[in-house]
Amino acid sequence: MDIFNVPFWTFVAVIAGIYTIFALGLYVQYALTGLPNFGHVAFAALAAYTMAILVIRFASPMPLAALAGLLVAVAFSFVLGIPTLRLRADYLAIATVAGGEIVRYLALNLQGLTGGPLGSIGMLGPTKLAQYNGPWDALIRRIVDALKESSIFAPVASRDFAMLLIVWPLALLLLLVFWLMARSPWGRLMRAIREDEAAAAAVGKNVFRAKMQALALGALLGGLAGLLLAWQIGIVTPDDYQPTFTFYAYLILILGGTTRIWAIPFGAALFGLLYSGTRFLNFFPLSLFDSGERAYLRLLLVGLLLIVLMAVRPQGLLGNRRQLLLQ
Amino acid sequence: MTPAPLLAARDLRKRFGGVLAVNDASIAVAPQSITALIGPNGAGKTTMFNLLSGFLRPESGAIEFDGRRCEGQPSHALAAAGLVRTFQIPRVLTRMTVLENMMLAGTGQPGEALGAALIRPRRVARRENEIRAQARELLALIRLDRLAGDYAGTLSGGQRKLLEFGRALMTRPRLLLLDEPMAGVAPTLALQLLEHIIDLRATRGMTFLVIEHDMEMVMAISDRIVVMDEGAVIAEGLPGEIQRNERVIAAYLGGIDQSAPAVSGSRA
Amino acid sequence: MRTFAFPAEWPLAGKRRTTVGIVAAIVTLALVAAVVSPRADFAQFAQLVVNGVITGSILALAGVGATLIFGIQRIANFAHGDFLTIGAYAAFVVNSLLGQNLALAAVGAMAAVALFAVVAHFVLFRPLRGRGTVALALISVGLGLVIRNGIAIVAGSEIRRFQVSQSDVIELGVVRLAPGQAVAIAVAVIVAPLVGLFLARTRVGKRMRAVADNRDLAAVAGIDIERIAVYVWILAGALAGLAGVMLGLEQGTFDPNMGVGPLFLIFTAVVLGGIGSAYGALFAGLALGLAMELSTWDGFFGGLDAKYKPVLAFVVLILLLLYRPQGLLGRARIL
Ligand SMILES: Nc1ncnc2c1ncn2[C@@H]1O[C@H](COP(=O)(O)OP(=O)(O)OP(=O)(O)O)[C@@H](O)[C@H]1O
Ligand SMILES: [Mg+2]
Repeated sequence: MDIFNVPFWTFVAVIAGIYTIFALGLYVQYALTGLPNFGHVAFAALAAYTMAILVIRFASPMPLAALAGLLVAVAFSFVLGIPTLRLRADYLAIATVAGGEIVRYLALNLQGLTGGPLGSIGMLGPTKLAQYNGPWDALIRRIVDALKESSIFAPVASRDFAMLLIVWPLALLLLLVFWLMARSPWGRLMRAIREDEAAAAAVGKNVFRAKMQALALGALLGGLAGLLLAWQIGIVTPDDYQPTFTFYAYLILILGGTTRIWAIPFGAALFGLLYSGTRFLNFFPLSLFDSGERAYLRLLLVGLLLIVLMAVRPQGLLGNRRQLLLQ
Repeated sequence: MTPAPLLAARDLRKRFGGVLAVNDASIAVAPQSITALIGPNGAGKTTMFNLLSGFLRPESGAIEFDGRRCEGQPSHALAAAGLVRTFQIPRVLTRMTVLENMMLAGTGQPGEALGAALIRPRRVARRENEIRAQARELLALIRLDRLAGDYAGTLSGGQRKLLEFGRALMTRPRLLLLDEPMAGVAPTLALQLLEHIIDLRATRGMTFLVIEHDMEMVMAISDRIVVMDEGAVIAEGLPGEIQRNERVIAAYLGGIDQSAPAVSGSRA
Repeated sequence: MRTFAFPAEWPLAGKRRTTVGIVAAIVTLALVAAVVSPRADFAQFAQLVVNGVITGSILALAGVGATLIFGIQRIANFAHGDFLTIGAYAAFVVNSLLGQNLALAAVGAMAAVALFAVVAHFVLFRPLRGRGTVALALISVGLGLVIRNGIAIVAGSEIRRFQVSQSDVIELGVVRLAPGQAVAIAVAVIVAPLVGLFLARTRVGKRMRAVADNRDLAAVAGIDIERIAVYVWILAGALAGLAGVMLGLEQGTFDPNMGVGPLFLIFTAVVLGGIGSAYGALFAGLALGLAMELSTWDGFFGGLDAKYKPVLAFVVLILLLLYRPQGLLGRARIL
């Protein structure tokens, strides 16, 4: 494939935008409030699956189904948060690992409800292909048509480009909102909890409630990213919600720098570039690997990058090391 | 007739594994008094503070603050009600500035509610300005005003103690529990702080319960002294009485060789 | 020496008695249901006990290592499941490629993973200690990705099995076992008590528990923590290697992703036993394995569908965190 393939990079940009929203959820939880969440993917999966199931099996209107999806994601954050947020952070970490794993496990094994390994297309049984994307496709088609009318955008008008026009403004708006919130007294409270929750409690702050807010907001953003991903891909399968998805988000935060919210989109873009860019790495010696092996190689590199970055630049590429290493 | 105590605890007990850190200890703090809590290392003073401030739950016993039962109440609720404590090892927010550390403790900021900063930016900003002014004033008092913009993580141990003292004052407490507030603070500044404590009692009617090892200081400022040893309260009274108390003298002399360093003691 | 509680417990005193009551009530209810139920099938029960002991020992062996590592270095080791995978593949090399018997293969697996764990300790975790729980956890996540995908590249991603007869059946009274399962249960019955004995009786074992239980206190008491940490990684690696072989035998087949699923069960066992408590993990792993298998018994309210076993573990974890996060054995700990 040509390295200057516009449709391909448009697709990458869409995914990067979705990852930005996904990682923003983790930013609120982990970078801002200090909550380690190792099952962020569960929120995306729950929202996407809830939406797909409601549309396909219960013929509910898609906006309503999407809303329900977000609610389920937030509800799950309460299931994980209420037992653990009064305890040391390790317990939340363990609960989120378990939560992420159990959601994917259920998606795989509750065949009747989730379509099993096939995912959403199998939700109506083997004889009938199911899909939930009708209304969304209609919306995208209308945008594409409008683009074709205009003289500037006509050459690049495509479904992915239309998606781009939805995802990135949304992502930037959310970044703005959370940037403002992080700078507000609310954000100060969250950062204080990240630094030392006993100190925050000692001056009269309800730490549990604040942490629950952060966890739920993160779940909301994770769920939103899951919905967007489901609409973009057009099908929901358990494989789209592997645990590694969560760690991509960590990588994005660390690539961008955990101390700065505006670094997230750069981290996401960089990650998208690195991740999709690896498919162009077909020169020697990488050509020794076949394409299946290269997929593993890619994940291996993700792991290696995670280790090296955490070891050498825990503050991220754009972060402030001095601040991070203060005791 | 003596006034009803502002804080009263009866028969508090707390065990850590095999150690009875607080053993049926009772304490009463009169309103607008300065009460000192003393005792050798490992006597259970910090644990007592943790129990009184809701950071630990007593296994048995009762605590009353301002006439209301409060054992088992979460620490933030007690702090909001006016019972505020500081920590022996200061807990400053290292990756936040000194000013932010202070402003965190400001009260009545509606902007701490979720989304309020977006919905009511003006009200939030107005209160924020008030809190900032209050914080700057207190920073001047504790001589940290020139470091307001620095990360708290860059402060020395003594400066951290001061910052914690200032942060506690930001909440406008009625009763302040100070755990060794002068440890590591330069002597001249420590003296000034003492004056401030006495001053705050006079002007604002604040009440203090202070853990302190410096006997001179304890004798100088306290109205009453409570002495703990091995988890129990062994004496209580006026400074002059305590100075002559045989058991207290024995506990302090005996404490020299048997007191263990508090390993994780004051962390809770 | 004075004893200390794990510092984690400070926000949650006073619920002990109610919890014991609840647990007792549930157990009684289950027993009554079992006896009264007309469908109680005791051959199936025995079979499930055997399966439960195997699953339980896998969780117990892996859990002891994970909990000791946690206690000593405050690392929630997310690569622990992948340690099991290394074990299975190391044994596969000895067993299938070199044609040696399974016992030798298991020893090889233990040695290989122990070596790997020690190297990880010296290269990764020791230099980076003090970085905070989350940073270390993320590093272990990265390590897990490297292990998993490294194995997939080197050994291929296809499904593997050990060279044991898949068709023979060993009958032990009412219980039927595949030879692989028989080996696994033999290992389980021998090794789990040995590990318990090692921790209880030997100097190194006692010190490991002491450090994991309260690092600061152990340091004050003059224990060489650096040395004990090395031993802990060796022990954790060896036990994970063995658990990996057993998991491969129990499942019949395995692939590079083998360790992903059990990870949260291992962590559940660690929490169940009280983080940092080696006995706790040993006991809790066994209990969790048994509970998961026995929940499918017909006599237990008709039996849970087998696919809900992990869900059961998840529910146990959440309830435990709600009511008794210091673990079932927490508090009752001896230094
Ligand atoms: N979280 C804890 N876990 C275990 N033991 C503890 C804990 N906190 C305190 N202890 C023990 O309880 C006893 C009382 O400790 P405490 O810190 O209350 O003493 P203290 O009077 O404040 O001493 P110091 O003057 O040294 O600060 C000590 O033996 C200490 O080791
Ligand atoms: Mg103390």
